[in-house]
Amino acid sequence: MENPFKKNRGLKIIIVGCGKVGNTLVEKLVQEKHDITVIDTNSDLVDRVSETYDVMGIAGNGFSYRVLLDAGINETDVLIAVTESDELNMLCCTIANQVGHCATIARVRNPDYSDELAYLRSKLGISLIINPELETAREIARLLRLPMAEEINAFTKGHAELIKFKLPDGNVLDGSHISDIRNYNSQLLVCGVERSGELVIPDGSFVLRGQDYITFIATPINTQNFFKKIDIDTHQVKNCMIIGGGKSSYYLAKQLTEMNIDVKIVEINMKRCEELSALIPKALIICGDGTDESVLREAGIEEADSVVPLTGLDEENILITLFARQFTAAKVITKIKRSSFHDVIDNLDMGSILYPRYMISETIIGHVRATQNGIGSNIEMLYHIFDNKAEAIEFNTEKNSPVVGKALMELKLKDNLLVACINRNGKIIIPKGDDVIQENDKVVIVTTHTGFKDLKDILK
Amino acid sequence: MNYSVVIYVLGWIMDIEAACMMLPCLVAAIYGEKEGLGFLYVAVAAALVGTIIVMHKPKDMKFYLKEGFVTTALSWIILSVLGALPFILNDDIPHFTDALFETVSGFTTTGSTILSDVEALSHASLFWRSFTHWIGGMGVLVFLLAILPMAGGSNMNLMKAESPGPSVGKLVPKVRDTAFYLYAIYFVMTVIEVVLLLFGGMNPFEALTISFGTAGTGGLSIWNDSIMSCTVYQQWVIGIFMVLFGVNFTFYFLLISGKIKQAFKIEEVRVYFIIIFVAVTTIAINIYDKIGSLGATIRHSFFQVGSIITTTGYGTADFDTWPALSKTILVMLMFIGACAGSTGGGIKVSRFIVMAKTVRKEIVSFLFPKSVKKIKIEDKVIGHETLRSINVYFMTYIIIFSVSLLLISYENKDMTSNFTAVAATINNIGPGLSKVGPTCNFSCYSAFSKYVFMFDMLAGRLELFPILLLFSPSVWKRKKKVA
Repeated sequence: MENPFKKNRGLKIIIVGCGKVGNTLVEKLVQEKHDITVIDTNSDLVDRVSETYDVMGIAGNGFSYRVLLDAGINETDVLIAVTESDELNMLCCTIANQVGHCATIARVRNPDYSDELAYLRSKLGISLIINPELETAREIARLLRLPMAEEINAFTKGHAELIKFKLPDGNVLDGSHISDIRNYNSQLLVCGVERSGELVIPDGSFVLRGQDYITFIATPINTQNFFKKIDIDTHQVKNCMIIGGGKSSYYLAKQLTEMNIDVKIVEINMKRCEELSALIPKALIICGDGTDESVLREAGIEEADSVVPLTGLDEENILITLFARQFTAAKVITKIKRSSFHDVIDNLDMGSILYPRYMISETIIGHVRATQNGIGSNIEMLYHIFDNKAEAIEFNTEKNSPVVGKALMELKLKDNLLVACINRNGKIIIPKGDDVIQENDKVVIVTTHTGFKDLKDILK
Repeated sequence: MNYSVVIYVLGWIMDIEAACMMLPCLVAAIYGEKEGLGFLYVAVAAALVGTIIVMHKPKDMKFYLKEGFVTTALSWIILSVLGALPFILNDDIPHFTDALFETVSGFTTTGSTILSDVEALSHASLFWRSFTHWIGGMGVLVFLLAILPMAGGSNMNLMKAESPGPSVGKLVPKVRDTAFYLYAIYFVMTVIEVVLLLFGGMNPFEALTISFGTAGTGGLSIWNDSIMSCTVYQQWVIGIFMVLFGVNFTFYFLLISGKIKQAFKIEEVRVYFIIIFVAVTTIAINIYDKIGSLGATIRHSFFQVGSIITTTGYGTADFDTWPALSKTILVMLMFIGACAGSTGGGIKVSRFIVMAKTVRKEIVSFLFPKSVKKIKIEDKVIGHETLRSINVYFMTYIIIFSVSLLLISYENKDMTSNFTAVAATINNIGPGLSKVGPTCNFSCYSAFSKYVFMFDMLAGRLELFPILLLFSPSVWKRKKKVA
């Protein structure tokens, strides 16, 4: 018996663990109308989640066969294990695989496993393993490679990038029309402009101003090219100061040293400093309190190209960021773990901000939507952009998709939607009205709608 | 408080009530009665106002527990006031207080009446009286949740306020689907009863109205003698269905989803049936001499016990004339009430189970002061919060009960009448003893006392707190605008 008043059926999803990520996932997945059951041993957490969101809560051990049966594992489509423990997450997925026939997603963050993820995935039958710290580090490294960008989201395996940057006052583009950008580079598409917190999807006659945040999509080469033409420096940073020596710092430092960027890590715990020094010999490890101004000055924060506060506390990170933005010229990237005061943070002018929990839920939601779509995933990538106001999604084009073979201007597209880029066998096309989507193209769209699962959803 | 969302939901409630009033219109059309007009006027007016409100969907749909409780309380008051208007317009019940009493009694599934000659009413009015039971039994807001897509996850706060029982469990992850399943079960069971009654020789009008009264565990009858003159078969059908509607609906959900073992493990349902069995047996032995035949004894005993414990209030015999032991048992059953998550009222079996276990725990802790014991139901530990809320509920219940008793005592009626009158209204049963016994009605009380009873009925149906919250000034505070 099904509720006939319900329009599109969601998936049945079990989430084990109601921590930060668990909560964010619930928040996002509920919006997509899935049937969600959360399991956690802490009944207070379960109560809180099931009171705030429209989900069923079960207080119990999510690794227990009986509890999973209670939660209806037999009819479940996706199980997501995001408890504190990596091993238990993997165990949970393995049990779920044995009992039910669901896709399983586990969070595994210990660096010891980071090189073995592919092996674990195939052996344990887990559909997706996510490592939040590693993803965060990757994202930060990407930003340090192109420091004047506030946000970078890569599509089609890095062939195209969605880049957000702040237009400096007095730049050549200050006061010019969007259509004038063609004079500098014809192969890029402006997807959105944010002016004092308001998002505009602009047309050609829109006039740009200094301090606007402009988001565009282009290939990396064209990006470089464009920035050079409008006289914005595109060199990657030469050095980076990381404050705090946790897991993400380790991943980040490792990647940066491989990119030949000088790394300094300020960490308060001597033992951890020694560990880090052994793990990343190229980096300079400084043992000291990163929240102490004199320590930071002594460590040379004023000479740094870039500063990345990665301590365990959001408040400390935000303070360090504000300090660095005020007294140094460094590029600063801030990671914010929990903090619900979004509006306040937006007003602080902190530069690039990363929310790891959103990054994880983006990955997972992309995966879930793909699962829902049946065999073969049509979603390659999904990003929340413009402070969660819009999504950028990369789709595979199916053979008989109704969008194939027609010029874009002939398709009846939904409002507030942009076909941003087409990847045809590695060749990036920034589409115009007369371009045609072909079979097997990878298509990136930007939209303020939510819940797109297939490319055909772009049609009215 | 977020006024706009409260008003928005109230708009929907008006629309739904307007739609419901089309049914008595239809009945009036079939029987060629002019009383249908009263319903039509009210329905059109309510639909107009409701639709105007609904068209302005508020931007801020945030819904906290406070809004949930206030909306529920206000919805029920609006339902009752609107529902009373046709009675006045049609001149069936000319006084506003009486009409309101009758409607509140209908929606709260109490079944107390102020009418001495029910059969004089038009078919349309009789149908409406019974239909209010059916709407009130499962709750309007639950119905609204099943059909209305509410943004945000906090719509659980609406369900919490309207569903009977100490803690509201969902059947499935989504509130909307849960509400749908509840109504589906409710609807199907009602249909089965209607069919069985039709089979037993009732005409469709009788079968429908009586089934509505049973399903909502209401108890307003279309005959002056309740259902004493029904056939033995009809009485058995009604009796059994009353008991079935007093069972926790989770039980049926588990049954239809094939988890039969799990269904019969529900402690509350087991205790509920044990209480019924013990009460029926004791009363049967007690009244055997008076009635004579074994079959009739068991039938009357079972019917009265079922009617009182599920808080329905139909009667096949005048139990006011029964021996003291039987009467006392019935009065006790009034307080116990049906299962949580059913359509019945009263304090609820599950609360009594928990309270009994708390008492046992307390006794053990006197013997062994350092002992640690958690109270469990069906292998699940009952948290401190739940225990506290059950105790507070019970205290509040006693306070409301005593104050009501005090307020109506100025009329100088006998203690039995007053006591059972309050018990019958706050537990949503219907008839009490003595002056408000099964063959009498509430018309002997003054207008003031009737308002006290109306408050009791609403408080009892909505589990006390939503109604009490209306009297708390801080609920009505507006959000301050940021300068």
